[in-house]
Amino acid sequence: MDTPRPLGVSDMVPDFEINTYEPTKHAFGKFSLSEQKQNGRWSILFFYPADFTFV
Amino acid sequence: MTISNDTEFVHLAWQRDEKELADVGFAMGADPTGRIGRLFGVYDEGSGLNLRGTFIISPEGQLLNSEVNFYNMGRNIDELMRRFKANLYLARKPDEGCPSKWKDDGDATLRPGPEMVGRVHEALTEGQTA
Repeated sequence: MDTPRPLGVSDMVPDFEINTYEPTKHAFGKFSLSEQKQNGRWSILFFYPADFTFV
Repeated sequence: MTISNDTEFVHLAWQRDEKELADVGFAMGADPTGRIGRLFGVYDEGSGLNLRGTFIISPEGQLLNSEVNFYNMGRNIDELMRRFKANLYLARKPDEGCPSKWKDDGDATLRPGPEMVGRVHEALTEGQTA
């Protein structure tokens, strides 16, 4: 999974999965990039340092 | 999807506790090891936290936009949505370009070509929609 060089604009993003909390469903879930691609969906990743801080 | 180095359990507690987050409609991703942050170059090994990075990925899996801010600067959601809409537009019209003032469908775009060389000002002020 680790890449020697971080991704740059125009690179193809390797498939990855990540655990999630889904507020609309009050449930835990998973985000999967390959699933997004299969469903023809765009993805926006919005990183921030920590919960309980401002965004 | 938002991503921090907290677990999904902390996301639940934060979302339940903070009234500003009452209407959150997106998934809150957990990256406690920094695995995904490293992939995108936003993981700070010193603090063990992800910087404020925003990335837009096309349905084909291509990274089209990237923006990274230091910890103490928030992001402008209007600008993020402008870029997202521009991506949707350009996916439909790949031979056009969205200039910096482009906001939404119908705004002037540029079509790069010989007649555009040295005439960007005219193209923008005449509101050319290619």
